[in-house]
Amino acid sequence: MAVYILKRLLAMIPTLFGVAVLIFLLLRVVPGDVVEARYLGQGGQFQSQELMDIERKKLGLDQPIWKQFTSWMGGLVRLDFGTSMWTGAPIAEEIKLRFALSLQLAIMASTTAVLIAIPLGILAAVKQDSWVDYAVRIFAISGLAMPSFWLGILMILVMLIYFKWLPPMVFTPLWVNPWENLAQLIWPALAVGYRYCAVGTRMMRSAMLEVLREDYIRTARAKGLWLKLILSRHALKNAILPVLTIMSLEFAFLLGGLVVTEQVFNLNGLGMLFVEGISRRDYTLIQALVMLIAATFLTINFVVDIAYAWIDPRIRYR
Amino acid sequence: MWNTRKVLAFVAIAGLAIPVAVIAQQPRNGGELVFPVPSEPPSYDGHREETFGLIHPIAPFYNTLLRVDPTDPGGTKPYPSLAETWTVSPDGKTYTFKLRQGVKFHDGSLMTSKDVKASYDKIIFPAPGVGSTRKGQYSGVQAVEAPDAATVVFRLKHASGSFIAGLLSPYNFIYKADLLAKDPHWYEKNIMGTGPFTFVEHVKGSHVVGKKFADYWDKGKPYLDGFRAIFMRDSAAQVAAVRSERAHIQFRGFTPKDRDNLKAALGDKIKVQESPWDCILMVGINHNRKPFDDKRVRRALSLALDRYEGSKALSQIAIVKAVAGVQVPGTPFATPPEELAKIAGYWPDIEKSRAEARRLLKDAGVPEGFAFTFTNRGIPMPYEPLAVWMIDQWRKVGLNVQQRVVEPAGYYAVIRKGEAEVFMDFQCGYIVEPDLDMYKFLSTERNPANYGFYKDPVLDELYDKQSNTTNVEERKKIIRQFEKRLLDEEAHYLMTLQWHRIIPHSSKLHGWQITPSHYLNNTLDVVWLSQ
Repeated sequence: MAVYILKRLLAMIPTLFGVAVLIFLLLRVVPGDVVEARYLGQGGQFQSQELMDIERKKLGLDQPIWKQFTSWMGGLVRLDFGTSMWTGAPIAEEIKLRFALSLQLAIMASTTAVLIAIPLGILAAVKQDSWVDYAVRIFAISGLAMPSFWLGILMILVMLIYFKWLPPMVFTPLWVNPWENLAQLIWPALAVGYRYCAVGTRMMRSAMLEVLREDYIRTARAKGLWLKLILSRHALKNAILPVLTIMSLEFAFLLGGLVVTEQVFNLNGLGMLFVEGISRRDYTLIQALVMLIAATFLTINFVVDIAYAWIDPRIRYR
Repeated sequence: MWNTRKVLAFVAIAGLAIPVAVIAQQPRNGGELVFPVPSEPPSYDGHREETFGLIHPIAPFYNTLLRVDPTDPGGTKPYPSLAETWTVSPDGKTYTFKLRQGVKFHDGSLMTSKDVKASYDKIIFPAPGVGSTRKGQYSGVQAVEAPDAATVVFRLKHASGSFIAGLLSPYNFIYKADLLAKDPHWYEKNIMGTGPFTFVEHVKGSHVVGKKFADYWDKGKPYLDGFRAIFMRDSAAQVAAVRSERAHIQFRGFTPKDRDNLKAALGDKIKVQESPWDCILMVGINHNRKPFDDKRVRRALSLALDRYEGSKALSQIAIVKAVAGVQVPGTPFATPPEELAKIAGYWPDIEKSRAEARRLLKDAGVPEGFAFTFTNRGIPMPYEPLAVWMIDQWRKVGLNVQQRVVEPAGYYAVIRKGEAEVFMDFQCGYIVEPDLDMYKFLSTERNPANYGFYKDPVLDELYDKQSNTTNVEERKKIIRQFEKRLLDEEAHYLMTLQWHRIIPHSSKLHGWQITPSHYLNNTLDVVWLSQ
């Protein structure tokens, strides 16, 4: 097990390096740079090449590509992401600000989703083809069909038109004012959590149906074991594996992928930072965010693999 | 019939009502102004940045030497700020400003002419490695001098009709000389001015907060206790913020539909101010591409556009309205409509116009159904509706136009390289002033932002001539000639429709006057809240 863990950890290094090379090169292929985005898109009359040259020099964009790459990689090895080309602030600081919000939102959405998806999925499987199953399927399919940002817009409109109320516009950390914090984040968490929960419910239901048809479940029933015990001790452990994979990957996605939802609820999260970084050609910021998200995906994958082995002893690796 | 008692009662009520009405208009102290800002400042240095995202949240922390009169709807009248008075020498080359005394920076130190000189030196003569985005605008300034603590003198190389307007720039914050001397980049990451509000916090991506500066030089102001600028990229979220009364105003502008929705939802709780906007989308034509090197083809493109009908239709759905030349309608140098109607593309008879366009295309050897690509910037409002409208208009003179949309950040990289043949270009000014608004159209060797890549010494000469003329009427005449050459005789660039600025705001907000520029009137010293 220890060797397996070590191997998996080492395998992350070339993957991350590949991501680094790819994102660095892809950004340089796209037309425009941060200096052009800053000075040419504003409609100003007096655009000077001299000013653009000064700014490019200041940002190191006048250096050859290989030098820019090695300098960035050198920083990366020391976990120094550098400074944002747009704001000049340290990238760690820029990300830290948004990470708290995105992480809390991801946790709230995941918790909502898991708490609803697993019992509903099990219920639908146990009551297969009954009205309960149909109701759960309708609920799940609706969640899959509705984009979370659209649901978010509906929520806002309902709150605005019928209750003349809108969630707070500025993020307040949980420890500063829990009420303000929840009043802002509960709505996007529900909007995102619903879709997330729909995925989980569908997956849980089908996995559970498959497991419930297994011989060992039939044997347990024949022995007269209590249904709740069969489900929790025998069926759930086996059915939960694919659900765990899907939901873990969704969690990683939630950290940086909620661009439109963040925009709709005016949340200062990583998704918005990512989009703004791209629209401003803030190379250093985009590179750092891509590396962060890649590392998050790899870590979650790694944790899921270990959890697999822990939940199901048959798939322990040597 | 009115009997004596009724009359007396009326007089008594009227007598009471008048003072109440007067009191209701008296500025009230207190309250926090909340407003969404659709963009965030990259740095805090006004001398370096070009975005309104800097002006809206940061301008309240600073003063400028002069400002635009906050009650002037045209947004062009000079008004004292840190300079109380000014004089101009008879040859028009020396401007002397007397500074207000007792003005304090937020750190308690006194502002003197040394600070004004250091600030303008940074803008006009920046040290090596220091970026100044408006340096080119003051190329006529020879020196800035501070003969004593209360006097600043600007010496010009030649007389200028636009120098005072240049000093009205809301970006030209007066910084503290000592801080600039220690580090010319200090103001990029720090805020410290003489403005009506002091800096409290900036949470990146979220908001900026300012609070009233107790030692502000203009006693009794500001009226507000503070302000909160909330960064909000999504326009629907901005509208929702105003509609839910969580925000009082958004200073850039909303669409006609947003205005109508807000008015329908909030009724009297919303006031709407509208103005022509000193921003315009223009059609750039690459003179290096055939057949657009032929002025007959360029003129035909302009003649095909029915701007008057376009204005009626587009103003319902987009932030455009007025038909205009090189100056915003209603401002001192704007072309009167009857004169504008003489320029090709502005003729009132569209059938005559289109017949002429077809004739010109035929003469230039452009066949019926000729296809070309119109490159547009990937911004929905108002780029998209304007492009759709123009493509349809060009189809009516037998042109087959395809639209190519380029993502905003990469857009100028494409047109700067000359890769586009006909494209959308954009200009937005902080003040309506011919020197600023017409600079864009100078020959490409004088202005690298001329993406039509043409050379026109006649146009350049007209520009210089109007710029050096201090007589307003004389200047107007030269501007008319410039306009005629630019839009009609040579048709180097085509104007679409003037943007239209719509600001629906809470009726609790007072003292703020809309102007054609979304960069003006953001110092917030005269703004107050009635509740």
